[in-house]
Amino acid sequence: MPAVRAENLYKVFGRRAAEAVEALSDGRHRDEIADLGVTAAVIDASFEVEPGEIFVVMGLSGSGKSTLIRMLNGLLPPTSGTVEIDGTDITGLKKADLRKVRSEKVSMVFQHFALFPHRPVVENAAYALEVRGVAREERHAKAQEALELVGLQGWEDKLPGQLSGGMQQRVGLARALAADTEIILMDEAFSALDPLIRRDMQTQLLELQASLGKTIVFITHDLNEAMRLGDRICVLRDGRVAQIGTAQEILDHPANDYVATFTEDVDRTRVLTAASVMVPAAPCAAPTDGPEEVLRAMREQDRDFCFVLDADERLLGAVSADDAEAAQDGGADDIAEAVKPVEDTTAPTTLVADLFAAAARSERPLAVVDEEDRMLGVIPRTALLEGLAMEGSRS
Amino acid sequence: MNPMTVPVPRLPVGDSFDASIEWLRTHLSGLFDVLGAVIGACVDALTTLLAQTSATQFTLLACAVIAAGLLRRGHLRPVGIAAAVWAVLYIAELAGGAATAVVGSMPAAVFSPAMSLYQAEYVYPPLLLALLLLAALVVLSFTYGRGTRQELLAALTCVALFAVTLAHFTLGVQLSLVVLPLFVLLAYVVVGWRVALFTVLGFLLIISMDKWDNAMSSLALILVATAVAIVVSLPLGILAAYSDRFSTVVRPVLDFMQTLPAFVYLLPAVAFFSIGAVPGVIATVVFAMPPGVRLTELGIRQVDKELVEAGEAFGAPDWAILRRIQLPLALSTIMAGVNQIIMLSLSMVVIAGMVGAGGLGNDVYRGIAQGNVPVGFEGGIAVVVLAIYLDRLTAAITRFSPAGRAAAAAR
Repeated sequence: MPAVRAENLYKVFGRRAAEAVEALSDGRHRDEIADLGVTAAVIDASFEVEPGEIFVVMGLSGSGKSTLIRMLNGLLPPTSGTVEIDGTDITGLKKADLRKVRSEKVSMVFQHFALFPHRPVVENAAYALEVRGVAREERHAKAQEALELVGLQGWEDKLPGQLSGGMQQRVGLARALAADTEIILMDEAFSALDPLIRRDMQTQLLELQASLGKTIVFITHDLNEAMRLGDRICVLRDGRVAQIGTAQEILDHPANDYVATFTEDVDRTRVLTAASVMVPAAPCAAPTDGPEEVLRAMREQDRDFCFVLDADERLLGAVSADDAEAAQDGGADDIAEAVKPVEDTTAPTTLVADLFAAAARSERPLAVVDEEDRMLGVIPRTALLEGLAMEGSRS
Repeated sequence: MNPMTVPVPRLPVGDSFDASIEWLRTHLSGLFDVLGAVIGACVDALTTLLAQTSATQFTLLACAVIAAGLLRRGHLRPVGIAAAVWAVLYIAELAGGAATAVVGSMPAAVFSPAMSLYQAEYVYPPLLLALLLLAALVVLSFTYGRGTRQELLAALTCVALFAVTLAHFTLGVQLSLVVLPLFVLLAYVVVGWRVALFTVLGFLLIISMDKWDNAMSSLALILVATAVAIVVSLPLGILAAYSDRFSTVVRPVLDFMQTLPAFVYLLPAVAFFSIGAVPGVIATVVFAMPPGVRLTELGIRQVDKELVEAGEAFGAPDWAILRRIQLPLALSTIMAGVNQIIMLSLSMVVIAGMVGAGGLGNDVYRGIAQGNVPVGFEGGIAVVVLAIYLDRLTAAITRFSPAGRAAAAAR
């Protein structure tokens, strides 16, 4: 069961909203119905968010993303369509039941932090629990834990005004974490922070997510941020969903020109991973192979080295052409003695941006290995450049 | 008659107003009587408290100071228990003379040293109860408040109480000179030494002009009028902040209330409540209330929408958002409204003198009516001193509010 499900969601502001929904569902653009005197913020949005994933909604200002996220916790009632949280349709709920859903299932982080300036940090973090009626001692203990998770221990008794922007948003995040809801909505949570702090916060969010596994709906106007955080990305345009997919799907197969122009500006090195640019490892040899055989393989591939793998494809090391020749001259039966360990290896999930330094250091292609040291492929410098060039070829 | 004159029918505006007052008076007289009695009693009690303070009241005042210190340090429960016990005993005394009976049954030797110190002729049970409460609070201060400055506060308060009662009741120093330091202390604690210095000089001026009693009765009238105005304007302001429709309806009414010449209020006020302090208070409330409503509305509307949304997003009910988010954050604006209410009350107090509300207004009105410049001018100066004192005090009190502390922290 998806954690959040939106089906044919419409939000139209104005008196003749129902008429507008009808016209829009026939596929008319929102500018065409301007004569109705309505503003169509979200048009026919359908998507499912799976438990434990970060679902990023990305769009420019005016694309309806803030309206969309506010319908997911019922702050705005949809004009038409349904929103399901954990399988319950919240669009028809009574006010009290809706409040219960908000306090127990969905919490929110705001663009401008929305911290209560008159309450100390710990009472801000404990707010959701206070609303739920949790006793003071217990809610302070939980708030304290949440503050420690975001690295704010020691700041509990300060007022929000005494904290920097980045720290304030950590309190905002702690407030949502202390609520201990499965779903967290983040409305442009990092947009008001300066770029360096923003990167820190993204990193921290990814680290927290790795251990907590919340369902996060994250709104942003920054595609780089979307690509970095999102397990899946939903691109909104003029209130309609333009495309939903993983970062790579959107980069490689943009659904239309609009999405394509967006992706032009994306720093691909921060989206593509080692796994997506690596090529099959060659030449490879087993430690039991004879030197002549290995040297021939090198010549065929026009290389002066060879990776050495065991029977389970684990990377043992590499042999250089010089060492192989020395072994041949020394009359060795196999190359086992000549194998030297490979220093530069990388995991398949490493971002391409983080590969450049290693690639520059190493004479040979980088070996990509999994956690058990199994060889997955290699990244020659040319492959890195090709990965970048795909961006240029489209523009 | 000029041939071009176009006849415009005469609308009976004034007459119908008069008729409606008459109707209200005959049909709702009971309500107005109750209202008048309550307000009159409040003004009288407050005037007595300010101008003829009794030893019991001084003692209770000292209790309040010590209790405030304990409450600030978070000892709600012991203070609450002590206050509740006192209240029960006091009510028992009022109802059946319980304390009197207990006092009567005890040997006279227990009380005689204190009685001879104050040259008292009998033991006044309410005073005894107040002293017991004071003793309880002092004990609490020295047990719960150990190591904090609460002990010091309790000790100093007791010393001050002893000094005040000794000076006034035993040595016979006039009350105004005894109370003056209390006003000064309040100004010093809430605002600072400059205003405290002004208070010393200004209030000494009032005493030297022999306007003290009148100033205190005006102060009582203003405080009651302000309290009533706040009680009425706060809910109206909250409603106006929540409902645009109510806001558009109430705004012209407020304009009307504020711009109608203040004298005009006295006519219906006298019609309903006859002459005296009560119509003065009522006219003052009507005249002074609008800024309270306006600034309450403004304060609540000014609270950042995202904060209200945050409250909603975490599932807080509307009243909790109002009480815990909107009102605390609007408090400094609301207090600006209270400040305005007090200032307008002060200007109205003189006009209320015309209907016999007493106090400084009486002096000013007498000065005008008799062409007596000295009396009128001295009354006016006393009003100014009172106005400045109250203005500085209410303007500074917001820094004790949560939002005020937040603003100071952000600086």
